Amino acid sequence: MDLDRIKQLAQTAPGRIEETSALEELEELESELLGRRSEIAQARRGIGRLNLQQRKAVGRVIGETMQKLAKAVDERRAALQAEAEDRLLEEDRVDVTLPYRRFRRGNHHLLTLTMDEVCDIFRALGYQVAEGPEVELAWYNFDALNTPPTHPSRFESDTMYVESYDDRERTGPDELLLRTQTSPMQIRYMENRRPPAYVVVPGRVFRTDTWDATHSPVFHQIEGLAVDEDITFGDLKGTLAHFAREFFGPEAETRFVPHFFPFTEPSAEMLVRWGGQWLEMLGCGMVDPNVFEAVGYDPERVTGFAFGMGVERLAMVKHGIDDIRHFYENDLRILRQFR
Amino acid sequence: MKVPISWLADFLDLPTSDPQQLEEILASLGHEVEGVEHISPAFEGVVVARVEEAGPHPNADRLRLCRVNDGSQTLDVVCGAWNFEAGAIVAYARAGSRLGLGSKRPLEVGVREIRGAASHGMIASARELGLGDDHEGIMVLDLMGAAGPSDVGRDFAEVADLGDAVLDVSITPNRGDCMSIRGLARELAAYWEMPLRDVDPRPACGPAPAGVDIDIEDPIACPRFVGHEIDGVRVGPSPWWMQRRLLSIGQRPISNVVDVSNYVMWELGHPIHMFDAAKVAGRRLIIRRAGPGEGLCTLDGTQRELDETDIVVADPSGPIALAGVMGGESTEVGADTGDILVEAANWHPPSILSTSHRLGLRSEASSRFERGVDPNLSGLAVARAVELIVSLGGGTPRAEAVDRYPSPRRPWTVRLRAGDVSRLLGPQPGFAESLGLLNRLGFQTESADSGEAAAVTVPTHRPDATRPADLVEEIARLYGFDRFADRVRHGTDGSLSPAQSALRRLREVLVGAGLSEVHTLSFLGPGQLDSLRIPEDSPRRTGIRVKNPLREEESVLRTTLIPGLMDAAARNAARGADREAFFEIGRVFWRRDDPDDPRIPHQPMQLGVIIAGEDVDVFSGASLIELLSETGGRNLSLPQARLEELHPGRGANVFCEGKAIGFMGELHPSLAREAGLEGRVVIAELALEPLIAPADDWIFRPVSMFPPLVFDMSFILPEAVPAARLLSVMRTAAGPTLETLDLFDEFRGPSIPDGRRSLAVRVTLRGMDRTLTDEEAAPVLKEIAGAVAERLDGQLRGSVE
Repeated sequence: MDLDRIKQLAQTAPGRIEETSALEELEELESELLGRRSEIAQARRGIGRLNLQQRKAVGRVIGETMQKLAKAVDERRAALQAEAEDRLLEEDRVDVTLPYRRFRRGNHHLLTLTMDEVCDIFRALGYQVAEGPEVELAWYNFDALNTPPTHPSRFESDTMYVESYDDRERTGPDELLLRTQTSPMQIRYMENRRPPAYVVVPGRVFRTDTWDATHSPVFHQIEGLAVDEDITFGDLKGTLAHFAREFFGPEAETRFVPHFFPFTEPSAEMLVRWGGQWLEMLGCGMVDPNVFEAVGYDPERVTGFAFGMGVERLAMVKHGIDDIRHFYENDLRILRQFR
Repeated sequence: MKVPISWLADFLDLPTSDPQQLEEILASLGHEVEGVEHISPAFEGVVVARVEEAGPHPNADRLRLCRVNDGSQTLDVVCGAWNFEAGAIVAYARAGSRLGLGSKRPLEVGVREIRGAASHGMIASARELGLGDDHEGIMVLDLMGAAGPSDVGRDFAEVADLGDAVLDVSITPNRGDCMSIRGLARELAAYWEMPLRDVDPRPACGPAPAGVDIDIEDPIACPRFVGHEIDGVRVGPSPWWMQRRLLSIGQRPISNVVDVSNYVMWELGHPIHMFDAAKVAGRRLIIRRAGPGEGLCTLDGTQRELDETDIVVADPSGPIALAGVMGGESTEVGADTGDILVEAANWHPPSILSTSHRLGLRSEASSRFERGVDPNLSGLAVARAVELIVSLGGGTPRAEAVDRYPSPRRPWTVRLRAGDVSRLLGPQPGFAESLGLLNRLGFQTESADSGEAAAVTVPTHRPDATRPADLVEEIARLYGFDRFADRVRHGTDGSLSPAQSALRRLREVLVGAGLSEVHTLSFLGPGQLDSLRIPEDSPRRTGIRVKNPLREEESVLRTTLIPGLMDAAARNAARGADREAFFEIGRVFWRRDDPDDPRIPHQPMQLGVIIAGEDVDVFSGASLIELLSETGGRNLSLPQARLEELHPGRGANVFCEGKAIGFMGELHPSLAREAGLEGRVVIAELALEPLIAPADDWIFRPVSMFPPLVFDMSFILPEAVPAARLLSVMRTAAGPTLETLDLFDEFRGPSIPDGRRSLAVRVTLRGMDRTLTDEEAAPVLKEIAGAVAERLDGQLRGSVE
């Protein structure tokens, strides 16, 4: 084999390598060009027969050619491999908008979210969160809250009473009932500590109300209580107006009008302007001295304010929910909207 | 309470009669206006006219053909009423006028042929004009005092002065004194610092001495009873001005005598009752509690069974009125009544409340007595009623009223100190200004302690004001709630307790795992616990009953969250959801004392879970428990157990650090079917407290940087050996070089003897300070195999590196 042949090969082979379109084809060509039986391999084996001077020159050309071709093959191989992978990935294409759902989050109930939200607003002000029993003594639900024994709210048409669960006879303040408000926790909270007291109490309450769009026998309230040495009516207003701005947004306007509750004096109702209307949002007032006396606080030394709001009502107003029953239907199509 | 603005104007010169402004002012005083009704005539084009002739209809005996002069022309009108004659002034709906405006079917009046005679419009009755129920006759305006001959031709709506606005005011239970026009006018007068134009009745009485004998047997039931007789009253319809006022407050005019009692009640807030004096046996009234077995037929025609808590007005023959609630039929004033006994009495509020509540009979009178009526008002109320009856129906009042008032209520004094006001309200208003505010509300003040205190005399219509705090409320109310400067009050510690934080984390994990939170009712029906097959001795078996449940299905306090969750799942399945995964965190109620307060039942918080849908089985529940275990950092274990409500082979108790805290498993298929749930349904219920109890602080454990040695070991074990037990024995035997154990295969087959199964476990060993050699691992594996063989009867099947 002469040198020319090899030089020719160095000229023509790269084009052939470049033209291969599949890895198998390339491998065949590689074997043809560079394999044991290839011309160039044979030529290399024949080098020994040449004289020293020729040996050097031919050896260099063969070496360079082999290097050149091997490099071209490698490059082509890499290119073909990349193409092959591209093709595979192309085939692996999916419509990523297909509605697969490997992970699905559940939802918190809006009542829980609302209670947390309200509690967090007050926690940021330094109020603790406490909870109390749902089956309660009449003492805590009524008597200690300055509600006279003949008050209509004690009627069975308003309050659900509960049978004695053991043999004990329970009458008057000892009677068991489903708390009609979270206010009894005012008493329980205060009777266990000395002033000051800053606390909010979320929880479930019960009334003898039949279901309609705005009534439910089971609903939720958040009670609040602030007792300290120098709390005045302005503190009540300022704190609750702050709450309204935090909950409804910075533009929320509030208004306080006189009202009546047995356990506050003066008593007020807070209205919030929402959707162009003044809506009654919560009841509040300065803690009645009789309540302080029931827990052994000295009304000459401490004053305080208390408030109570309906959780369902807050959520209904804020989210435009038209029927309280939606909270208890537990329909996933509704629950999924809660966030 | 309905408050026509025109009526308020009787008592003071209103600076505004704009309903919206009045609404604002009343609200600022604590009287919420729930609605405003604008009264406008339900007709247009009706004029005052004079009947020139009223002759017979040529073709109908029961009709009349009239000639009616409307001021511009005289036309024929056919009329079916006979309560008028020629000369009557009437409301004439001309052709082209419209009636029943605002109703579904307004009527356009035209010229109609009636039995062969043309009728140009009609002469209107009160009902046709929407001014009452009377359809017997037409409105004879001159007789009613609504219009006279000089008004002929004028628009009737204008003449009758029909436009008004009526406020619907909600009165709080402590303010019985505001259940009247006068009471609210008094509030407004205080607000505007204006004098009240009070009523001052001075009936002209005859010489005849009082003839009725009144005997109060129970002065607690009846602190005061005033009766005044009027002889020779002509009972008939009330004049227009009276009818119009009653209509505007939604009261139907009945007769002058009855209308006066309603009118005075509205005006002064004191209910009045009228007896037909001739029907009162022996002209003697006895005020007492009802006796056993006594009954009474009330004015609404209903026979009422009475009990000893009811107060009655009786005559010697028995009860004739249910005191403070409703009169009796036997002494009712009717068309033929001549002698009237006017009663203004004061009744014990709780008794009235209890009677009206028990009988389901709430009347305008009872709602006032329930709140309390000032007994000092009774004399004025009787005088006002007598004056009105005489002016409307004639008659001669007896020389004086009979007044039984054994212990008159006198004004009382409250000592108010400057500090009482500033402690609750702050620096503003000052004490002097505060006293001035009280004066405006009718409280007399006498300064003491060089201006640092005052003796405040409370008028007897304000029984709610007995303590300094009550007076402070009055001061704040009149001063204006808006005027107190807002101040945000910060507390001392807003942190969550560790348990509260843990609960929030727990909820996040459940939601992250795909469960949605539900709130279900706290009640169960009695049958629901039976159908869950909970054993008799379980605290979950017998719930505490509600004494007055709304429905039998809601008569027991829940002892478990499962039925509520099953309902939620079933409801969603029925509505087409394909996967239901819910949790609820709420209280259950057990028949034992609460550990913290033995006076009330134990009502712990529980976590309940239900998961249903494709690919759900007991391991869904087990892995959820695992998740909770990892969340709380405490060890929850699941020993297999048979529970009645669970699939017998797919249930477990849940233990937390050695204590049973609940269960988990597949709902028994028969219960799932009954509930309408398809496929496998996983339920779990756990006590919440151990799940959120603060866990011990944990200490960092360094991790090894050396490569592990991994071996697979499989054992043939008796079926009775739970996987968890195998792992625990292996772990104990392996010693400190053990890193993890992963059970990766369970196998039963011909190569395994009956009653046994093969479990394959991957054992990872790793040294803390060096690469372990096979020589070091061998004794560990041998130790494991030995322990499994000895303690679990497990035979090593193969160990492959």
